[in-house]
Amino acid sequence: MSAPLRPAPAPPVAVGLPPPRRDRPPLPSRRARAAERTVGAVALAATAVTVWLGLWVTPPDQVQGNLVRLVYLHPGVAWVALYLAFGLAAVASLLYLWPRTRSLVWDRLAAAAVEVGVVFNVCTLVSGSIWGRPTWGVWWVWDARLTSTAVLLVLFLGYLAMRRIPAEPEVRAKRSAFVALFAAVDIPIVHFSVLWWRTLHQGATVLNANLSPKIHGSMAWTLLLGFLALTLVFVWMLLVRYRIGALEDWLGGGELELALAERRAEGALPEDGSTPAEPLGVG
Amino acid sequence: MTLTTPAPPAATGPGPPTPPVPSRRGDHRLRYAVVALVLIGAFTFLLVKGIGSALDFYLPADQAVAQEASLGSRTVNLEGVVAPGSIRPTPSGVDFVVTSGTTRLAVRNAGSPPQLFQADIPVIAVGHFSGGVFVSDQILVKHSSTYIAEHPKRVTAPNGTAR
Repeated sequence: MSAPLRPAPAPPVAVGLPPPRRDRPPLPSRRARAAERTVGAVALAATAVTVWLGLWVTPPDQVQGNLVRLVYLHPGVAWVALYLAFGLAAVASLLYLWPRTRSLVWDRLAAAAVEVGVVFNVCTLVSGSIWGRPTWGVWWVWDARLTSTAVLLVLFLGYLAMRRIPAEPEVRAKRSAFVALFAAVDIPIVHFSVLWWRTLHQGATVLNANLSPKIHGSMAWTLLLGFLALTLVFVWMLLVRYRIGALEDWLGGGELELALAERRAEGALPEDGSTPAEPLGVG
Repeated sequence: MTLTTPAPPAATGPGPPTPPVPSRRGDHRLRYAVVALVLIGAFTFLLVKGIGSALDFYLPADQAVAQEASLGSRTVNLEGVVAPGSIRPTPSGVDFVVTSGTTRLAVRNAGSPPQLFQADIPVIAVGHFSGGVFVSDQILVKHSSTYIAEHPKRVTAPNGTAR
């Protein structure tokens, strides 16, 4: 906006840009940025080691052969989506609804967690589908595990869609918290679906009823490292999304007023009969 | 009916008619209701799907054989373990026997099975009963949640299991 803005002559409506904000944006401290970068670097390193172990070091499986290597990715991604991301969103929503801990910080955290969780949920469905085609023989079946996971994705997509409805921050936070808790009902359904119903999807390898992992040696350690790596990736994505969310909240609803004022200023410019002014922005 | 007759009041009850003022709050309520409706719809879909076709994906072969008369020629997902030594490739597909508990059932499948299809693993055959034989047109391999490293020096125990 380098074009000089002339003050409009006694306009019937308020014309002109709102004064620029004087308060500083909520930028993270130097230490917070360093911590974020450290988590990102460790997550990258752990992922790289997992890939190396998973693809080159670990042995093929007795039944599945090399197809087993997806076990180092798919359950970890599902773990992040279901338990970390959506679980955290549910806890943060509860903390928002609880009067003593009510703070928009929880709302922002829940929103960030759901957004990252939706990405991981899609990755769960895609990686599971890629694994299912060669092992089961089909890309998809409507068994209880797969269906409830797909429903979970739709529910939390609904959460994100609902957040886009214009509303006061507190109103939106309250609605979102209720929707998140409603959607979170599906988390235990997904988890126990392989126990409650007969499914094509196999049962739990690690978190089974008697907590005795049915995987050993280097395969078990690589699986564990994969869980750790994906958890770190989740934490890093959450930190970044939360930081951006804080900036978005700082801007608040100001964009609408700014855009309206800009359009009004455009209309007010050519009052001396000259050709209409250049557009202020590129759009 | 004359022109001077005022229009009968609408069925809004007594009291002066209020002008329809579009309220922001009402607008939000409507949107909220739509979102709630979509969410409830998603859950209802899951429930109806479950009640309609049963949330169980398959029927074990022993239960299927017990219900053979009532199943008739209905398509079911039949589950059983492929009996060792029973796999016979045919021109149209593969014949094999599944075991489930003490039940043994012959399966005639049209089409080639998935790559992991082999003896001693649980499979699901999609098909129907036809004269004591289960005729299927699709096989799904139901692999277990146990992962055991393939070992080049693995020996087979006398009972047939690999150690």
